[in-house]
Amino acid sequence: MLVTFPHMGTLSIVLKTLFTQLGCQVLVPPPITKHTLELGIRVSPETVCLPFKLTLGNFIEALEQGADTIITCGGVGPCRLGYYGVIQQGILQQLGYQFRMITVEPNLIEAYRQLKVVAPHTSWRQIYKAFQLAGAKMNLLDDISCEVNQLRAVESVRGSVNKLWEQAVQDIDLAESCQELKVLRAELLQKLQAVTVVQVVQPLRIAIVGEIYVMLEPFVNQNIERCLGDMGIEVSKTLLLSDYVKGQLLKRKSYLELYQRLEAMAEPYLGHSVGGHGLKSIAYTILKKQQGYDGIIQVYPFACMPEVVAKNILPKVSQDIDMPVLTLAYDEQTGEAGIRTRLEAFIDLLKYRQTKLLGI
Amino acid sequence: MSVRVGVPQGLLHFQYGTVLERFLSELGAEVVLSGETSRHTLDCGSVLDEMCLPAKVFFGHACCLRDKVDYLFLPRIVSIRQGQYTCPKIIGMPDVLRNNVGQLPPIIDTNIDMRQKSRQLYHAIVTVGQLLGCSVATSLYAWFRAWQYRARIQPVECAYDGRPRLALIGHPYIIYDRQVSLGTLEKLKKLGMHVFTPEMVEFEEINRAAARLEKKLFWSNSHTIAGAAMALMAGKRPLSGIIFMTCFACGPDAMVGELIRQQASYLNIPCMQLSLDEHTAEAGLVTRLEAFTDMVKRRKNTCL
Repeated sequence: MLVTFPHMGTLSIVLKTLFTQLGCQVLVPPPITKHTLELGIRVSPETVCLPFKLTLGNFIEALEQGADTIITCGGVGPCRLGYYGVIQQGILQQLGYQFRMITVEPNLIEAYRQLKVVAPHTSWRQIYKAFQLAGAKMNLLDDISCEVNQLRAVESVRGSVNKLWEQAVQDIDLAESCQELKVLRAELLQKLQAVTVVQVVQPLRIAIVGEIYVMLEPFVNQNIERCLGDMGIEVSKTLLLSDYVKGQLLKRKSYLELYQRLEAMAEPYLGHSVGGHGLKSIAYTILKKQQGYDGIIQVYPFACMPEVVAKNILPKVSQDIDMPVLTLAYDEQTGEAGIRTRLEAFIDLLKYRQTKLLGI
Repeated sequence: MSVRVGVPQGLLHFQYGTVLERFLSELGAEVVLSGETSRHTLDCGSVLDEMCLPAKVFFGHACCLRDKVDYLFLPRIVSIRQGQYTCPKIIGMPDVLRNNVGQLPPIIDTNIDMRQKSRQLYHAIVTVGQLLGCSVATSLYAWFRAWQYRARIQPVECAYDGRPRLALIGHPYIIYDRQVSLGTLEKLKKLGMHVFTPEMVEFEEINRAAARLEKKLFWSNSHTIAGAAMALMAGKRPLSGIIFMTCFACGPDAMVGELIRQQASYLNIPCMQLSLDEHTAEAGLVTRLEAFTDMVKRRKNTCL
């Protein structure tokens, strides 16, 4: 059994660790490229959202390399993600691939049964250890990425933080125990502190809201945080993999409280969850205004149902609370220059606003 | 004078409109309908960005009503069946309207959410009744009376008359809206087809067919559409062709269309997907319908 799974930013590192520790043979799909996208587009329905096409491309590339078990996620709606698995399975079968697809639904008993299929001879202790290590890697990756996104704005040598980040990802990928990760964490934080910075009065701060796949996958969002960082902007992503796991899957108390607060914030504009992260996009726009951010960028795949609802409400929110919002929808046609121009224009606007507010 | 309550004739109105209208008038309200979709409705709806056409149409209907009524009746229909949703755009509709149109009359946007418990419906009924100044008993009785007017299913197995049997699959708010579908249903009948729509399939049959899916669809309309398509395709009499009508940017349809295409190609039934939006030109649509029906007829003759 050769296990594979879709890409989403640094997710592959976490899942690779998890399944290797569970005793499976793992095949990480090749990194997403134009070719992956083309493979996906060729066999996908035309108007389906971008993550569907890309993950399907991942599966095809992995199956070509010999994988025979695909692990993907399910859901209960109303976002389309929940039904990806069934349709993708049908498409791959029609293409003539031989494989088994395991769709993990948010149902503990079912998930346990599937775990036993993937890792039949694994003891509870091993399972616990596997999840612990994968979780630790996920936390460290997200923590470092947060630091990196802030530091990039003020580094004195352009690109020094990026180099550090790439090295960090490699090191975390290679780590084999929680102990090792602990040492690595201290080391990385020290390195980040040692980065030489320029003194800026007050760098602009932008929060990114929207759909999680586009937010986390640099191939799709064209490395938006790096692009903004290079322009001297501090970036905060409102959704990270660890937030999703702790909030949506593990339902940690702190997250549930946060979600309740967010729901109350969005209430005047959107009175009911519309699936996906639609409600959070609106709520975070308000929350980030309160936290003193300068602008919001909403990212989502073209025709994403929950985010389109949010998008049609955000102009009013933006007007009411005086917070500039830029909306970027990504699809397979999105050009690099077009996005860059829009980002630059948005930053110019924010800078102008800042000088006016500060009275410089 | 009784309260004037506006009911936009879009989206789920095509399925539950008669019941809801009846319910409101039993409660003593004067029901004001927005009328059939027109060019003007579409123009009003076009302010929305990236939405699907039916959502824009609904928005247009609501806009047209805004000066004529005391209340706008837009219940937030989250779910009409256990374990299923309607669709994110339908759920968010009252908010989208509120945040895009100024000077709206008060909106009745009671949640109808039967995802967990179907009893929630009665809660919604009572809430609406209270808003219109009716007691609990009156509201429930009004609903009971209105429920008698729900749409009856037309039997599907009428006599076989030799015409090619064609399934026209799509949301009721696409197929039965003459402005949106450009009268596709009538056009197909004129072209000599025996047309079946999802509304002609018994509910039990739909559920049986949909149960064959690997995973239950969690959008109730899509569940009906996919189930009906599969039931028709697997029916006793063979189907000559299937047309799947969808609107650009409809999320669930992108998935269901693929499901139906897979099933049709497996059963060797010709399948055409018609994607509509506000720019759809009638001549282009007619050409495609004629080409498809010609092909179906020829195929039928060669098979015999």
